[in-house]
Order: sequence, then structure tokens, then C-alpha cells
Amino acid sequence: MSHEVEILLVDDSPEDVELTVLALRRNKLSNDIQVAEDGAEALDFLFCRGPHADRTFSNPPKLVLLDLKLPKVDGLEVLKAIREDERTKTIPVVILTSSKEQRDLIDGYNLGVSAYIQKPVDFDQFSETIRQIGMFWLLINQPPPAGALVASKAKGA
Amino acid sequence: MLAFRSTLREEGDRESVTHTHLVVESLERILMDVTQAETGQRGYILTGDEKYLKPFKDDVRKVQQDAEQFGQLTSDNPRQQEAIQQLTPVVAARVAGLKLRLEIRKRSGLLVAAEAVASGDNGEELMEGIRGRIGEMRHTEERLLASRLSVAAFSAQKVKVIIVVGNVLALLILLAAGFVIHRETGRRNLAEQGLKSINERLERRTMELSETNHELESFSYSVAHDLRAPLRQIAGYSNVLSKDHGPSLDAEARRYLEKIDEGARKMGRLVDDLLSLSKVGRQEILLQATALDSLLRQVVEELEPEYLGREVEWRIGDLFSADCDPGLMKQVFVHLLSNAVKYTRKRENAVIEVGQMRQNDQRVFFIRDNGVGFEMQYVSKLFGVFQRLHKARDFEGTGVGLAIVQRIIRKHGGQIWAEAKLNEGATFFFTLGSPESHTKERSERAKDQEVINVA
Repeated sequence: MSHEVEILLVDDSPEDVELTVLALRRNKLSNDIQVAEDGAEALDFLFCRGPHADRTFSNPPKLVLLDLKLPKVDGLEVLKAIREDERTKTIPVVILTSSKEQRDLIDGYNLGVSAYIQKPVDFDQFSETIRQIGMFWLLINQPPPAGALVASKAKGA
Repeated sequence: MLAFRSTLREEGDRESVTHTHLVVESLERILMDVTQAETGQRGYILTGDEKYLKPFKDDVRKVQQDAEQFGQLTSDNPRQQEAIQQLTPVVAARVAGLKLRLEIRKRSGLLVAAEAVASGDNGEELMEGIRGRIGEMRHTEERLLASRLSVAAFSAQKVKVIIVVGNVLALLILLAAGFVIHRETGRRNLAEQGLKSINERLERRTMELSETNHELESFSYSVAHDLRAPLRQIAGYSNVLSKDHGPSLDAEARRYLEKIDEGARKMGRLVDDLLSLSKVGRQEILLQATALDSLLRQVVEELEPEYLGREVEWRIGDLFSADCDPGLMKQVFVHLLSNAVKYTRKRENAVIEVGQMRQNDQRVFFIRDNGVGFEMQYVSKLFGVFQRLHKARDFEGTGVGLAIVQRIIRKHGGQIWAEAKLNEGATFFFTLGSPESHTKERSERAKDQEVINVA
């Protein structure tokens, strides 16, 4: 069985990435994390191309933690690309950002985001938030069967 | 106008021509009457037949009538009046002569009468006189007519002149009007151009303002994202450091770390509060009939963690519905009630009262507590941003909450004020302005409905 990624963390700040990983580790949720530092890298990973050409669509990440303000391709564009493609549209995407702007919330939900969370300043609160997200999407939530979407798409085509 | 007057004069001229004809006619009738009377008299003298007498008498009467008519017709002409006065005795003399011969014929028969006619009298002379005078009078009248007609002709000429002059005048007036209109149009065009340029400037200004507004919006967005991010890192790393490496640090190092953590948290709250203040400023209010008591109870419930383990007596009176933005009104209650909870913290029996009353025909809501209160001399600073009336050591806070509350109340067209006494408590009052009063009736009906539903 190939290396299975549970969380794709898309964030351009190495410090934010480190703190998020620390929070995940503190909650024992840090098994398999892939980090993308901009939107383009995230899309390469999700669509199995470039440095990730050896990946397959049948093994999507269980959760994408997506920041909004990203270099090259911003968070909402990444979300749009994920939701528009049959092979990726069911992947749970949680926006994890500093912004609580109404505009971002509306745009995010209109593009079909699974959840929208503002990062708390307080690290204890942040850690608790990360714990709840991880618990829910990695342990409680039941994802679609692996490869089912690719298969159904092939059947449809 | 002038032409109209001339037309009137022309009509007057025509009348005077008719008048002259009437006068001449009456003169001719007088002559005819006398001549016929003479004929009648001759007939009687020759035949002695009575049938000639009656026309004679009629003619004599007619002479008198026609003379009178002539007098009336020429009453405004002194010359003709004089002439008729001279003519009347001559006519009378002639008639008298005729009557005399008739008497002779009656009394003495044909021969004597014939002899009298033959011997002659001054009859022919009189007749000549009558003819001459009437001819003169007729001449006078015709001269008068001629002069009148020439006047009429002159006035006709005048009408023509007036029409020509009038037309020229009208043309001149038209030209002048055209000139004035041209000048005014020019001025108006100038004014319109001025207005247009003012409008353009205004549009530019509006665009600049909306750009500035947009910049401010992106500024607060940047504050949210860019300022919060490093802040979170400070808080995060200090937290991880003290948790993961705390045991290997000495007590002072741990205290410093705590201070860093505390400062970051405080700044986080400040940034968040400032953001909500600017958000309230930008947000459009959406008015809808809102049951204030249920909103209030919801807030009291949500604030429970803040007064957990304390004894707080809530006295919530009846609140009617009001037209307000429910989200913003909830923020008002959250800030005012959490203040009341915070400042009664040191009271053993904290009492927080919420109600409404009528003042100057306006509905006033109030939130009263028996907390630490404040000195009224500082009341003007109460609603300012970052203004605090208590030491941070005694009561934590950013000094933004009441500024947010005031902004929300003002957005609703209402007012907010406070009364307090140090160590006895504070009361905050607010109104919701005109939208609320417009719908008072409806809201109170809604309240009745609620009561019925409960019953």
C-alpha cells in the first residue's frame, strides 16, 4: 500500500505551518501531513501532476486545510478547482484562515467549502480547534470509498 | 392694437357717411312736402274737390315733422341748426300763403281764387328761398361728408401706415427677443457647462471617496490577516516554549514567557475589537421586527461562563418588539450586559436589571447594575475608543466595547447615555430612534399576539 496522506496543509507561512503541525502533534493527529506552500503546489499534489505525477486519484487526502491568502493561486481558486473536478470534488476542504471577512465567508461557502474556521490568536484555543477538526474529519467523518469516484466517473464516461 | 383702433375709427367714419345721407334725405323730404302741399292746394282751387284737402293737410303736417327730424339729426351741428331756424319761418310763410288761397277758394269760389293766384303773391319767391336754403343746407352737409370721408381716407391711410409700422415693430421685437433668447441660451449653456463640470468633479470626488473606502476596507482586511498572523506566532511559540520546555527553564524565564503570552492575547483582543468596530461602521443595518426579550434571554444565557460561580440576580422586565438589526442589537446587549457582569464582580449580591420606560414620548431601554459605577465627571469619555474609566489591574478590557455600542445605536437613529455613582452602580439608557416609533403600533400589536399565544 502506497504512502497515504491524511492531511494536505496549504499555508505559505513556515511558522504557521510549524505551529499547526505542533498543534496536530500535541493532539496525536500528525501521522501523515503534506505541506503545500502555495496554491499551485497544492493543485499539483491534488491533481497528481509535476512532482506528484506518481500519485493516483484513488488516494485523495482525507482533509485539506486551506489558507486563503496564498501566493500564485489563492485559496478560493484552489477550492474552486477542487470542486469543479469530478475526481476531487468530494474531498473535505476546511478553510483555516486569519480572515473573518463576510466576503470570504460567502465566497467560501458558495464554492462549496466543508467548513470555515478563523485561527484563534491564543495557541491553546488554536490547539483545541485543530484537535476538533482532526477528530471530526479524520476519525468521526466517513469519507467516500477510495477510488469509487474515479470508477463512477469512468463508468459515466 | 393700433390696427384694431384704426379699424374702429373706420367704422365710425362709415357711420357718419350714413348720417349725412339721412340728413340730406330729410332735407329733400321737406322740399318735396312743400311742393306736394302746393300741388294739393292747386288741385282744390281748380276743382273745389274736397279730396285734395286731405293730402294738403297731411303734407303740411309732414313738413313740420321732417323739419323737426332734421333738427334732431343735426343737433350737434350749430351751422345747420341756424339754417333750419332760418328755413322754418320761410316754409311757414309759404304754407300760410297756400292756406290763405284755399280759404279764398272756399269762400269766394274759383274765379276770385284764380284771380288771386294770377295777381300773384310772394309764393314763388318763398319757394325759391326754400329751394335755395335747402340747397345750401344740402351743400353744407355734403361738404361735411366730404371732409369726413377725407378723414376716413386719411385714417385708412393711417391704418396702412400703422400696419406697416406695426409689422416693422413686431419684426424688431422678434429680433430683440431672438437676441435675448440667444444670449440667455448662451448663458444657460455656460451654466449647464458649469453644472456639468461640478457634477464631474462630484463624480470624481465620489469615486475617490469610494476608492478611499475600499482602501480602508482592504486596510482592515490586512489588519485582520497580516497583523493577526505574526501575533498568533508570538502567542503560539511562547505557549509551546513554556509548555514543552518549561521544566528546563528557571522561574523568571517562565514568568517572562507568561508576559509575552499575555501581551499577545491582549493585542489579539484589541485587534479583534477594532475589527468589529470598523465592521459595524461599514455594515448596512437590516431592520426587522425583533422580540427584544427573547434576544436578551439568549444573551444572558450565552454570558453564563462569565458569571459562573457567582450570585447574579437578573431582573428582566417586559420588552416589546422593536424594528432593529437583530445581529447588531445582540452585540449591544452582549457588550452592555457583560459590562454589567464585569463591574458587579466584587458585589456579593449583584443585581442586573433590564427594562424599558417612557420618557418624552419615546421608548427608552435601560440596563442597570449595582456594580462599581464611575464618577460622572468622566462620563464624556465613556463612549470613546480606547477610553477606560477603570484600571486594567482592576477590570480588564480594551475600551472598544461601548464605542461599538454607541455606533450601533446611532446607526439605528437612536441615542445612548449613562448615569452612575461611584461604588453604587451604573445605568445605561438608549433609544432606537425613529424606525422604532413608526412601527410602535405594529410592534405592540405583535406583543399582544405573543401574549395571546402564550395564553
